[in-house]
Amino acid sequence: MKTYFTEQQIASPILQEAASEIEKCRHYGFCTATCPTYVLLGDELDSPRGRVDLIGKMLEAGGVPDPSTVKHLDRCLSCMACTTTCPTSIDYGKLIDIGREYIEENYRRPLAERALRTLIAKVLPNPALFRLSMLAASVARPFSGVLGSKLAGMIAMTKALKPQKSDFAHLERVDSSGAAGYRVALLEGCVQKVIGVQINDATIRILSRHGCEIYKPRSVGCCGSLPLHMGRGDEARALARRAVDAWHSAIVDEGVQAIIINASGCGTTIKDYGHLLKGDPDYASKAQIVADHALDISEWLVRIGIEPVAPLGLRVAYHDPCSLQHAQRVTSQPRQLLTRVGCDVVNVPERHMCCGSAGTYNMLQPEIAGRLGKRKAENISRTKPEVIATGNIGCMNQIQQYSDVPIVHFVELLDWATGGKKPVALCATALNRG
Amino acid sequence: MATSSQTAVQQDDLAEFMVAARALVGAEWVDTSASKVDRFGENLMPEGNVPVSGVIYPNSTEQVQGLVALANRFKVPLYPVSTGQNIGLGSRAPVLPGQVVVELGRRMNRILEINEEMAYAVVEPGVSYQDLYDELESRGHPLMLDTTSGPPQGGPLGNTLDKGAGYTPYFDHFYMSCGMEVVLGNGDVLRTGDGALEGSKSWNISKYGLGPYLDGLFLQSNYGIVTRMGIWLMPKPPVTQSFFFSFPDDDDIGEIMELARFTKLRGVIPTLLKVTNDIYAFGTETRFPLDRADIRKTIPDAVRKEMQTEHGIGSWVVSGAVYAPTQEAADAQIDVIRALFTKSGKATYIPQEIADENPMFRIHSDSFIGKPTRDEFPLYEWRPGGGATWILPVTPIHGETAKDHQRLSRNILERFGFDYICEHVVGARMSRALHVLVWNREDPEENARADACYKAFIDEYAAAGYPVSRPPTAYQPYAMNRLGHSFLQTCNNIKDALDPNGILSPGRYGIGLHR
Ligand SMILES: Cc1cc2nc3c(=O)[nH]c(=O)nc-3n(C[C@H](O)[C@H](O)[C@H](O)COP(=O)(O)OP(=O)(O)OC[C@H]3O[C@@H](n4cnc5c(N)ncnc54)[C@H](O)[C@@H]3O)c2cc1C
Ligand code: SF4
Repeated sequence: MKTYFTEQQIASPILQEAASEIEKCRHYGFCTATCPTYVLLGDELDSPRGRVDLIGKMLEAGGVPDPSTVKHLDRCLSCMACTTTCPTSIDYGKLIDIGREYIEENYRRPLAERALRTLIAKVLPNPALFRLSMLAASVARPFSGVLGSKLAGMIAMTKALKPQKSDFAHLERVDSSGAAGYRVALLEGCVQKVIGVQINDATIRILSRHGCEIYKPRSVGCCGSLPLHMGRGDEARALARRAVDAWHSAIVDEGVQAIIINASGCGTTIKDYGHLLKGDPDYASKAQIVADHALDISEWLVRIGIEPVAPLGLRVAYHDPCSLQHAQRVTSQPRQLLTRVGCDVVNVPERHMCCGSAGTYNMLQPEIAGRLGKRKAENISRTKPEVIATGNIGCMNQIQQYSDVPIVHFVELLDWATGGKKPVALCATALNRG
Repeated sequence: MATSSQTAVQQDDLAEFMVAARALVGAEWVDTSASKVDRFGENLMPEGNVPVSGVIYPNSTEQVQGLVALANRFKVPLYPVSTGQNIGLGSRAPVLPGQVVVELGRRMNRILEINEEMAYAVVEPGVSYQDLYDELESRGHPLMLDTTSGPPQGGPLGNTLDKGAGYTPYFDHFYMSCGMEVVLGNGDVLRTGDGALEGSKSWNISKYGLGPYLDGLFLQSNYGIVTRMGIWLMPKPPVTQSFFFSFPDDDDIGEIMELARFTKLRGVIPTLLKVTNDIYAFGTETRFPLDRADIRKTIPDAVRKEMQTEHGIGSWVVSGAVYAPTQEAADAQIDVIRALFTKSGKATYIPQEIADENPMFRIHSDSFIGKPTRDEFPLYEWRPGGGATWILPVTPIHGETAKDHQRLSRNILERFGFDYICEHVVGARMSRALHVLVWNREDPEENARADACYKAFIDEYAAAGYPVSRPPTAYQPYAMNRLGHSFLQTCNNIKDALDPNGILSPGRYGIGLHR
């Protein structure tokens, strides 16, 4: 697609990058059929190519973005289904991030929305604040009726969430209990550290059992993913720099072989650190080194191999998180591992479709997210599973709201099958190993 | 851009039609917004997009019938599409401007029945290949789909109506369809075959019924809007084993076709054979080498040979599959095929285990198990610029003729500066020779060359005695005009009988332009 940036505009590296991506769009139209918002809403402006055009026009025009443009770009899930469908090499992810950052810098949202977004951007990446806010939410729950619909929705969402205690959270290093002699770093995450500690604990147990010494540098907090997808690029880059500092020295000084990520949304951002910090001469090369070491837990476990002690024999519906299947193209590894531990892994119909979680999307766009969540749960139920497994805490919380089937991170099942604990979500069920 | 006084719509009539349509289907299911009509008018053709007047999403056969009645009343032409993924053959845009697209797929997308015992499904227009595949998968794959290598979100109903085909023994989608419900241009609802009998229990299992066989009338035509269709499905074989052979030279197509006829006529190979040329194979993962060749010309043979070496193939890759109850039985069948194909010493055998590590080959393995794939889309990116279409002349499974056809195609493409990108999909007697034409649609000069090239294919193959069988919307009237007056006149006579006001897809496959 032709762009019409002025020479002055094109001098800006960001606009140049945007222009070169936009020009790759050929208007084939393959992307619309797999875009969740187009499938639900049928509006051309809620399709990938519609958004590519909108971003182009917004950036070319400069100034204050049109509210309608903001609406359609806000509705994008950043699920990247369009990128796996489109045969061009357009990097839609970069484009939408550029668009979001432009909106954040040039558009004044209504007060309530601004407040909500600031709240999310400040609270979620900060585990202490997040814990506090969950407490506040439980107090506020009875008053949901008098709160705005989005806030009430968020409060309702926290109902299913329970902060848990970790066996390992206080440690910066966990020794290996196996002989292989691997060294890895683990991202504990921000949200996951509060509401998904069982995932981190299962990850640490299985890694340690399979010969990995695990580093968890305390200075690493949020990877930057949450603010990045809200258009808060500076905040994201600041968080990324902290993580890069810690991990780069772990790689260089401690001989860490991989940065392991078990929240796939974060994995996508970390694998792209090279690009995120490419404009920062002090960090560009370090960030690329970190990105090159980043691996989803499933990629690492396939690489080192795992040993089940008792086959699980469960019928497991595997839900592909968008960040794994579309952004990182990691689809076979979780299935391979689950099969290895004796699960009967079934694919979910419409597996390319997002569940509606999408980072902070289910808080900011509850109506669309709810429709997608229900649709996903219905599709899952068609496969009649005993357990749902996935690779991202966001998907777990989202799907849990719409499905009665217990849901776990796949690493919890892998840990259980290789000698670890029964997943918390299955404790109340009669399902058993072997 | 095509224009025609026959389809000129009175703006007042159109406005009144839209008001009535909104009342019929609900205002939110009629869209005349600028963004919608612009997008639905897009195709990838040299002549440019074809503007439409609006898009309507009906929910049922009754609503379709209602829309057809309104279209007749206000003389507004309708253009029905199912899943609308005909990308490269016209997308969702009609032949002539001003038509109102009826997109059936958005709301009429139910799988109405899957009968595992009798091995068939009944679908509405919006059911996609992926939908059907997912449904069969969630049932543990008792039955296998035959799919195209095109968009997984395209569907069996629209594909069948365009004479589409796949690769397994159920490749002939029309032959494997059974029983249609059609809203005719005059507003009547027709149930074909046994479906004509009130309370029929054999609509989707008995193909030819009583009386004239009408189903074929609705293929590559514009006589009705099909609202449901039965499709037969094959029981999933316990073992499917694909095989691959690479042949080094362009002229090996002669030997390949002779082997293909011998094996296909005798039923040695149950699937169709895919005979894929070098660029068609590696074009799914690489692009025109701008650093080594002039983009305004056909890629030189020397560069093509270099690229063959880089991708580990020769001029042609032959693939197919066998189905068997056990792996041993499959291996035994493969041994027979291997012995035949490698006898002359030219072919290199590539087993499935090796081939499947490479997406370029995996496309083929997927098609033999009926698994939808997007891996062929990148062929459209072989050359930059977004112009893409298919040219499908018929080629007999006869060595010398296939060599002549290759020479003819290469000659035309070279004259216009494009590349020979061809896959023969080979049955016992004839092949669909899928040629992909890609060009820079943003360059008027290249557009003109692409246009002339397409027409040259139609003309020169016709002169040699072979029609181009499934042209995109832009070339349908041109291609149909090569078939001789009597054929087109008969088509138009049928049009007058079933759609007297000519309100359904006027111009599709050249039919309905006579008034
Ligand atoms: C890379 C690639 C590979 C491909 N490979 C193949 C292949 O192997 N085999 C193959 O057959 N095709 C192939 N195609 C073409 C394409 O995928 C199919 O033709 C596709 O199925 C058509 O799109 P659809 O199913 O969405 O049909 P639609 O676009 O919905 O329908 C096609 C046309 O049929 C008519 N029509 C549709 N529905 C109705 C209705 N209900 N009533 C009346 N008329 C109707 C309309 O004129 C419409 O434009 C390929 C395409 C690509 C891009
Ligand atoms: S990222 Fe997802 S929601 Fe956004 S345009 Fe692409 S497919 Fe649609």
